[in-house]
Amino acid sequence: MKVSVDEKRCQGHARCIAFAAQVFHIDDEGFSHEREGFETVTPELEKYVKKAFANCPENAILISD
Amino acid sequence: MSDNNRPGLDFDFHGKALDNIFETYAEIRDKCPVGHSERYGGFWFISKNNDIFAAEQDPERYSVAPSMLLPSFGTDIPMIPIDIDPPKHWEYRKILLPLFTPQAIRKIENGIRMTSRELAIKVLESLRHGPTDASSMFARPVPTIVFSRIAGFPEQDWPKFDKWVYDIIYARVEYPERAKNAAQAVMDYFNDLLMARRSAEPREDVIQKLLEARLDGNPLSQDELISYCYLLFVAGLDTTVWAIRSSLWYLGQNLEDQRRLREDPELIYMAVEEFLRTLSPVQAMARTCLADTVIQGQKISAGERVVLVFGSGNRDPDAYDHPEKIQIDREDNKHLAFGAGIHRCLGSNLARAELVISLKEFLNIVPEFTLAEPSEQWHGIGKLTIRMN
Repeated sequence: MKVSVDEKRCQGHARCIAFAAQVFHIDDEGFSHEREGFETVTPELEKYVKKAFANCPENAILISD
Repeated sequence: MSDNNRPGLDFDFHGKALDNIFETYAEIRDKCPVGHSERYGGFWFISKNNDIFAAEQDPERYSVAPSMLLPSFGTDIPMIPIDIDPPKHWEYRKILLPLFTPQAIRKIENGIRMTSRELAIKVLESLRHGPTDASSMFARPVPTIVFSRIAGFPEQDWPKFDKWVYDIIYARVEYPERAKNAAQAVMDYFNDLLMARRSAEPREDVIQKLLEARLDGNPLSQDELISYCYLLFVAGLDTTVWAIRSSLWYLGQNLEDQRRLREDPELIYMAVEEFLRTLSPVQAMARTCLADTVIQGQKISAGERVVLVFGSGNRDPDAYDHPEKIQIDREDNKHLAFGAGIHRCLGSNLARAELVISLKEFLNIVPEFTLAEPSEQWHGIGKLTIRMN
């Protein structure tokens, strides 16, 4: 599974780091980005990334197989 | 609704209308998902989750001028930044963004914890003598103290804030004059405070950040500073009070969930999201439609006022399973309590921290409690009388 944050959609709700802080980080203005090296999600982190995806109020998290 | 031929005609989202608003939402979603109310000079309301979300993502079509509030908060002066459209909006908003990131809020969590703990202990002492108002003793002071500290509102002035907040936000619908007078008093207060701060030692708080901000090399004018402070005052002191109070209101009558959160405090993170979805302090916000628009077959003309009914979208069966049920462990819970799009609540990270920490401390210190006055409503910032079970 691959993950990225659509930076045009992210508005800084920070829900993603509540579920998967290993995969996302928040910049100094509060916007989320996928962490370098975590664009491909390891199987053990998949369920957390899926939760972040499901709880993002802006639909800003993009996941693909 | 009184007129079945034209449902939604008297739709309202303030005061007494909130007593049974969730039934009203179900009715309008079913009969007129986009409808017209004649209140407050007339407005269209949008009640479906998807339609609200789409409007929030389209600030070029839906302007926040003249005010996101309907009726306005006792003033015709646009509040910075929520009543400002792009591109100016971003210039104002980005000044304060760094102060409200999760990492910034983490630094004040300990202060929130200590304040919550001290106030919860006072609630406990009072409960030993009988029924106690958890609103005035806990839900109201926690956000006032926490936010005033961050913002730089002096402690000796806190007692004044309570009445101003009440008049501006709650009395405004029935008594616009009271709101107007309170709004003027708050603006005068900030005018004086800002003047005093200009010549004082720099401190680390929101007011300092605003004083030091530069837009295209220029500082904000005194009027801009007052408007920004006014918005922070009404937004920072009231909404979180409601959210803490409504969470306690729910827990006071759902003892199984109260016990569950005591046994598993980590669940409070999820419970808070569910309380925000179902009992949110911001039930609706207004826009002005700038172009002729058709939603759900209804035509809205350019220039008409539109109200995005977040509280209805948050209980939309097309967006949630069993939307009326409060499930404190609901897993998929993207809700509209903080809005969406470019006007997402600037203080959402702070509000969430205050809610989680204050509820944790309250449940940690106050033993099982129930509501002593079942007539007290879920909404608002009024009394919440509890007793020990």
